Amino acid sequence: MSSPARASPPALKPLAWSTAAFLGGVLLHFERLPLWATATAILCAAWSLAGHARRVRLPGRSVKVVLALALLAAVVALFHTLNGLQAGTTLLTVMGSVKLLETRTRRDRYILIGAGIYLLLAACLSRQSLLYAPLYAADAWLCCSALLAAAHPDSSLGNRAAVMLAARSLLLALPIGLIGFLFFPRLSGSLWALPDSGAALTGLSDSLTPGAISDLSESSRPAFRVWFDGPAPPPQERYWRGPVLYDFDGATWSRPPPWSFWPEMRRASMRPAQAADSARPSSTAHRYRYRIALEPSSEPWWLGLDTVVSAPPGARLTADHVLVGDGPVTHPITYTAVSDTTMRRARPLTPLTLRRDLWLPPRRNPRSAALARRLRRRAGSDAAFVQAVLDYLRTGGFEYSLTPARLGKNSVDEFLFDTRRGFCGHFASAFVTLMRAGGVPARVVVGYLGGEWNPVGRYLVVRDSDAHAWAEVWLDGRGWTRVDPTAVVAPERLYRNIDSFLPNAASASERLVLEVPWIGAVGNAWDAANAWWSDDVVGFNSRSQLALLKRLGIAAPKMLDLVWLLALSLVVWLAATAWRLGRLPHGARPDRIARSYDRLCRKLARAGVARGADQGPLAYADSIARRRPDLAAIGRVLLARYAELRYGSLASGSRERRLADFERAVACWRISPRSKNARASRGK
Amino acid sequence: MRSLLRRKMAAWILARQGIDRIPLTLLRRRLYVLPTRAGAGFGLLLISMLIAALNYGNSLALLVTCLLGGLALVAMHQCHRNLLELAITAAWTRPAFAGERGSLALTIANESSLERHRVQIDVSSGGTASVDLPPRCTRRIELPVPAPRRGLVRIDRVRLSTTYPFGLFRAWTWVHAPLAMTVYPRPRGARPVPALAGAEHGHTDSHGVDPDEWRGLRAFREGDSPRQVAWKAYARGAPLLVKEYAAAAAAKRLFEFDALTGLDTEARLEQLARWIVDAEARGESYGLVLRTARLAPQRGPEHCRRALTALALYGTGAP
Repeated sequence: MSSPARASPPALKPLAWSTAAFLGGVLLHFERLPLWATATAILCAAWSLAGHARRVRLPGRSVKVVLALALLAAVVALFHTLNGLQAGTTLLTVMGSVKLLETRTRRDRYILIGAGIYLLLAACLSRQSLLYAPLYAADAWLCCSALLAAAHPDSSLGNRAAVMLAARSLLLALPIGLIGFLFFPRLSGSLWALPDSGAALTGLSDSLTPGAISDLSESSRPAFRVWFDGPAPPPQERYWRGPVLYDFDGATWSRPPPWSFWPEMRRASMRPAQAADSARPSSTAHRYRYRIALEPSSEPWWLGLDTVVSAPPGARLTADHVLVGDGPVTHPITYTAVSDTTMRRARPLTPLTLRRDLWLPPRRNPRSAALARRLRRRAGSDAAFVQAVLDYLRTGGFEYSLTPARLGKNSVDEFLFDTRRGFCGHFASAFVTLMRAGGVPARVVVGYLGGEWNPVGRYLVVRDSDAHAWAEVWLDGRGWTRVDPTAVVAPERLYRNIDSFLPNAASASERLVLEVPWIGAVGNAWDAANAWWSDDVVGFNSRSQLALLKRLGIAAPKMLDLVWLLALSLVVWLAATAWRLGRLPHGARPDRIARSYDRLCRKLARAGVARGADQGPLAYADSIARRRPDLAAIGRVLLARYAELRYGSLASGSRERRLADFERAVACWRISPRSKNARASRGK
Repeated sequence: MRSLLRRKMAAWILARQGIDRIPLTLLRRRLYVLPTRAGAGFGLLLISMLIAALNYGNSLALLVTCLLGGLALVAMHQCHRNLLELAITAAWTRPAFAGERGSLALTIANESSLERHRVQIDVSSGGTASVDLPPRCTRRIELPVPAPRRGLVRIDRVRLSTTYPFGLFRAWTWVHAPLAMTVYPRPRGARPVPALAGAEHGHTDSHGVDPDEWRGLRAFREGDSPRQVAWKAYARGAPLLVKEYAAAAAAKRLFEFDALTGLDTEARLEQLARWIVDAEARGESYGLVLRTARLAPQRGPEHCRRALTALALYGTGAP
């Protein structure tokens, strides 16, 4: 019935451990991997364990080859590449699953654990939230325990002891982790171009379609956090400026695409701001210096308080005062910026930019255009026209709503004359359309408004749900001026979060946070911890390293100083660890048996019977019997006891007792002078 | 090339450490540590992880990588510590007949209260064994050593090593103790046993023991043949006694090397070994006459050992 037993069945314990290490790595990616990949890993693990426990047959070579090729094909079909974090993770998962089916030797087990460790690394690369940190630590612990179990399956080390030993080893290694984290020189860029992570990150979009519902994020995910050097600006000044949108096709606002048929215009819009463009007021009362910790997003925008004066290192300031990084913000970054809320941006318009800022799609929104022309005729100036439009919006029965109706091609007409319900995007879009139709250069700005003060961390947290859109109009003599039509309709929007004045929009849990004070406090503490995590841990970069060096007292820190510090702390750690692990518990004292034996031999040598270098204890006893018969009896007993202690296999308990007896006996034995005299007289 | 390197290395280590005296405590100076193959693989894994972490500019990944790098360094120290201050309190060899396996026995003592795991002992020319040592404990380990030819098998060096706990590093030490295993000649040959002492040459009476010449019982001595034990008395509760016969007490034979004419040296030694083993099994007394040595007739395991050792070392120049 049963197949003939092989010579040595592979031990199940190390296999189970290495499988657990691999599966742990796979499960870290549970929500990012395709479900079939996770399922494959789990099924293969079950198959492998059952096969090694002799419950089922393991697949043959051809089945494994077919399986591996099929899985490879599935990965390629899904991602169209094997490059990139997600495709690579999936590939590692499925190939590791096939490897599970042929894990026999220690080497196979090591490979599985290595795959598990690499999956842990991939998890760190793809998600760095504080929430996952304990999971990552636990997985590292699991991998180390598995390494112990896989290395020495037949040692007397039990599972529990292995887990504890892994924990102790990791704690001993933790200083090295921190040293490397603090002092390992970071690259300023990448060694090679990073493939798109494929993650659907939220962020400020560079287009705005008021007609589509999904534009408004209700997520409370933090977008960024701000620490002010001095007092925070008043709530009505907390406009965080993102991309500026110019192009309008009747439904969607967007930035001029790179393939825009107005190349000069695009150049102009991306041209770095020049000092001459903006006339700065002499007062610094409205100047704010702050540090922003930006969470990853799919966009290159670095947010800043309206209006950013100069670009922080790593970003550039475009002509329309937008901070742009080199590429999408793939991992948390921190930067310091200076803004002036009263700065005038009065760069004269060129014919090209004027055309851009006045452009409207032809034959769209005709009723709005008519309204704008009517209002402009009545108004004496551009400024009065702006005020007239705002008045129209305030008194026209408009209503702020997170769930407005869908809009069609003439979105502005439908919103202004039919639905009259909308959120910031609707108002900004309608306002800019009216402005342009009335001959005033105008544009839409996307960004964030407000933010929530965290008293624990003393910072402002701005969430995805704080996303906002407003307008900027060009007024002669004042330059570009911010106008927020939404604030006219729903002034509360300036002072409170969306959730608090639209209770039915907030989720139950968020309302709980708002209503129960201590939960709010816990929430604040949690967000502060998150802020610390993403700012000081995940966002720790070469700039932070240089700042750290400065704080350590190095006046002009260079990257080379980091290398020295790294080497120095590594040496210190190695010395400390060598010292700590080089001291054995109770092991450093000299051998008690040898000490007493030496003492015995010295006593006998003084009595004239020195031990020959070639004599073992028993031969020594014989020679004593020949040369000093009077010492023979006790000498033989002591030497035999020594031989027993030294060479016998004694249980540790009785050994201790006998050793103590031996030491006492050696200490108390006095070689009497009478024997010496007797020997001396016989010698004569 | 590789074996040359190994020889050079061995010579260097021998010159560095000198010949060891047992008992011997393994101190830092004589412990060596290098990564194993798995350790080298782990190193490659760490390097690729480091590159990935740096390339992604990801601090968390760098932290994990450095943590695992630190773990490897800790593993190195732990591996070293697993051997540190172990003591070899005794080492001796068990002789064997040519073609069989002898053994090297070691007692290893763990004086500390640290538990030692998977200490592996290899003999340069023989077997390998692994041992776990609980705190304050002595273990005796026997390693098989092949005995191909009569003479002395020198055990140049013994290696104690360990890859515990993570298998990423191997710590080891070489012990060069003056150890040699005696290999007796293989007992072989069909020449008739020489006559009892006093009898003339040619008169062979290999079974000259008359079982009826009963002399009495005496106390058991180490080396008495089980056939002579008074098992019935022992079963009744008496101490272990041996039946002594007049003939057995008197039987003495002299095995002479030069009497074996017509055979070469090895064959003569084999024949002598055959006789000695047989006589010892029968409980007879026997003497041995070689050109270099002479053993008076006696019996017992100690005598047997001396006789066989004399055969083993015959002509080898060893004392």
